[in-house]
Amino acid sequence: MGFQNTKIDLDYNHPIRPPSTVMKLDRLGSFHQTRLSFTRRLIDDLKYQKSKIEIYQWDIDNSGIGSAIIKIALKKETLSLVIFCHSINDEERTDRVIAEKWDMTFSLFRGIPNKNELNQLSKNLKIQESGRHNSKQLTLSRANKSQRIFEKILNDLSIGKQPSEKLINDVGYLVRTTAVYGNGKFGIEDFSKTNGHIFLEKPFQAEMLTVYLIRYFSIELINFLAKKKGGKKSVILSKHLTKHLGVGNATGLGMAPFLVNHQELIHQWIYNRETALSRVFSIKRLNKKTQNKIINYIHQAFKYSLQWKVDDKLQSKKIEKLNLDLKKILQNEKITKLLNFHYPIKGFFNFFKDDITLETQEILISVFIEPFPELFEDLLNNMGADEKKSVSIDYNVNDILDIIKNNYNWALKIDTTKPEENYCFWYTSQTKLEPRLGITKKDAGIDKQLPFDIAHQIKQAVNTLSKLPPNMTAAEVMINHPELRNIIKRVIINKSMPYSEIQNNLIGKDMKPIDILRCKLSFFGASKYDPKSNLWTRITLFQGAPLPNELWKKNINDWLFPNLSNV
Amino acid sequence: MISVSLNEIYSETYKALRSVKIEWSLAKDCANKAKWLAQHDQNFLGSILKTADLYQKKEISISINENTNKKPLATALMGLLLVEYVSANKITWKGYIDNLKFLLAAMGIIAEEQQINLTLENEQKEIIAFTKEKKIYVNSNLDTKVTSYSSLKTYNYIEEKNTKFTSFKNNKEVTNLNDKCWERLKSMAFETYVPESETSKSGAGY
Repeated sequence: MGFQNTKIDLDYNHPIRPPSTVMKLDRLGSFHQTRLSFTRRLIDDLKYQKSKIEIYQWDIDNSGIGSAIIKIALKKETLSLVIFCHSINDEERTDRVIAEKWDMTFSLFRGIPNKNELNQLSKNLKIQESGRHNSKQLTLSRANKSQRIFEKILNDLSIGKQPSEKLINDVGYLVRTTAVYGNGKFGIEDFSKTNGHIFLEKPFQAEMLTVYLIRYFSIELINFLAKKKGGKKSVILSKHLTKHLGVGNATGLGMAPFLVNHQELIHQWIYNRETALSRVFSIKRLNKKTQNKIINYIHQAFKYSLQWKVDDKLQSKKIEKLNLDLKKILQNEKITKLLNFHYPIKGFFNFFKDDITLETQEILISVFIEPFPELFEDLLNNMGADEKKSVSIDYNVNDILDIIKNNYNWALKIDTTKPEENYCFWYTSQTKLEPRLGITKKDAGIDKQLPFDIAHQIKQAVNTLSKLPPNMTAAEVMINHPELRNIIKRVIINKSMPYSEIQNNLIGKDMKPIDILRCKLSFFGASKYDPKSNLWTRITLFQGAPLPNELWKKNINDWLFPNLSNV
Repeated sequence: MISVSLNEIYSETYKALRSVKIEWSLAKDCANKAKWLAQHDQNFLGSILKTADLYQKKEISISINENTNKKPLATALMGLLLVEYVSANKITWKGYIDNLKFLLAAMGIIAEEQQINLTLENEQKEIIAFTKEKKIYVNSNLDTKVTSYSSLKTYNYIEEKNTKFTSFKNNKEVTNLNDKCWERLKSMAFETYVPESETSKSGAGY
């Protein structure tokens, strides 16, 4: 049932939160997984496709070295995850993207590779970025075993014992990926070539499927190794614990520029998220069952917050406050009444909004969106964007200045001459060809900086444009001032896509790249953000997600805020 | 030959052009045109390397007003800006261009994205190419490799006469490029990277 035909009693007039509220880094850095996240969408799609996931080939020895293929049969196509397990020393196992050896390497492949293709893959997958890859490969990835729990769980299972819930909860995964490449990287298939392919043409679908299958593989692997090690004494991991294992991921700055470089796409994601929220705020009445569902999700969020443990002091404080906020909300006698009023969700949110942190506000938004998938099915299928190469010819100087005045006030307010607003710069690192951040007064390379100084470019544009005739076309401005083309294009895009710009100075001292990462990761569907500095974080994907053999079940995609009840 | 993806063509091209200090937006425009040409099974790599070389030697123009037969307009860099300018201002532009293909790519892009009808004529007023309904059609009797004086304008009505025009085909397969040229482009792109610093080492996994 689509949004227009829903039986839910709602009007369609609730305004969406403006970009000036949403597009601030501190809020973007408080986003949580929602029902619109890509991991959740993948599970829906796998179910819709009646997909069959099975081990197709298993050539792994008793020490866990070898290769395997997992086959995924979709309605009209077969894909496979090709896996190679390698032998590496403990000291070679690192989260660093610049690592050169990994426990496991993977590729999602169109079809099942033949002997020659498999031979090529065996040579190139293990060297990842240094290899040359095939256009039938949809992704390229690698992972390491968790040193904290892999061997421990293996030992427990091999002697017939289930591992402790606390251990599983504290880590949350058996393996951790350090990169999942897609979209044409190192010779693999371009994302644009998936056009018209209903399953793969959605953003990050191939990458999410890869991670989901890595999770499945990691579980199969540990059960296999436990049996090899313990023989008849061994047991397999209980279903309850298995479901609480996701896949870890270490994510750094490599991901951050994506949100700056793909304006149309980021607008689409955030606009859709905000539209989903506005539809939920437009609900006039809730029945008892849905009221209880919402309260139950808040309980789940509360439990999740109790089990979300990190070393980072700032994030720990945020989690502590989140925990207190949620507790206060749950203890508030008015919550049942609030959910019984007219426009109950909007009223509920507004009642608490001013007394809770951004972290709590955004977790509540995930809660509110969760019970109403039929209200945003259309949005779920519209998370991609057509990125234009040319600049619209319909604008003149006056129009551009008007858009800047209306949409870039945040940039105009920044004093770009101050040293703290020029504190850092973005560049691409020679070592791993990944984006990095340098300190302007300390590090070399400012001459090669990436153009992420949006506020500065806005000021430069205003300075030039205000001296030009107001009716001069933007095209004429750009042909005479090519240095303004980048920012004029951004401004024009922002006119029709107002959620396309982060409203902070991305080279200022106060900017925290971790906020950019978290925003993007929330759309992936990450949980348990575990920042290791301002520059990188560990996360978990698919924790609590259904296993491949459960995909046929009803209401299987109900796994927001996974928690182990006995921890 | 080496098989490369469109994404690689885009990212290596703009970085390579940045290494010779070409403006960001021009480098990205060129990368988009290169990608468009690859998608339509057209060669582009040698021309990009040549453009970078001529740009460094200042033997190529990036001015729509100041270009000559000896120092023609660099269409790899300025093509998209030129078609936008002609389309927005509804003028006829006349001048010397260095490489027809990149101008055709620019016309193809603006036709696909903004559905603007443009014609490109040579000095003899023969139509070299025109855009119509999201597509570009090229005169199959003319040599599109020749550097020449050209005229670009928008149109409302076009008489195709008896000339045979063909559209570019989409290349659904992989793009194969000369590996030596590709390596050269990549080594130019590498020039835009910065060695690791202590600050950057506080990033992921350190």
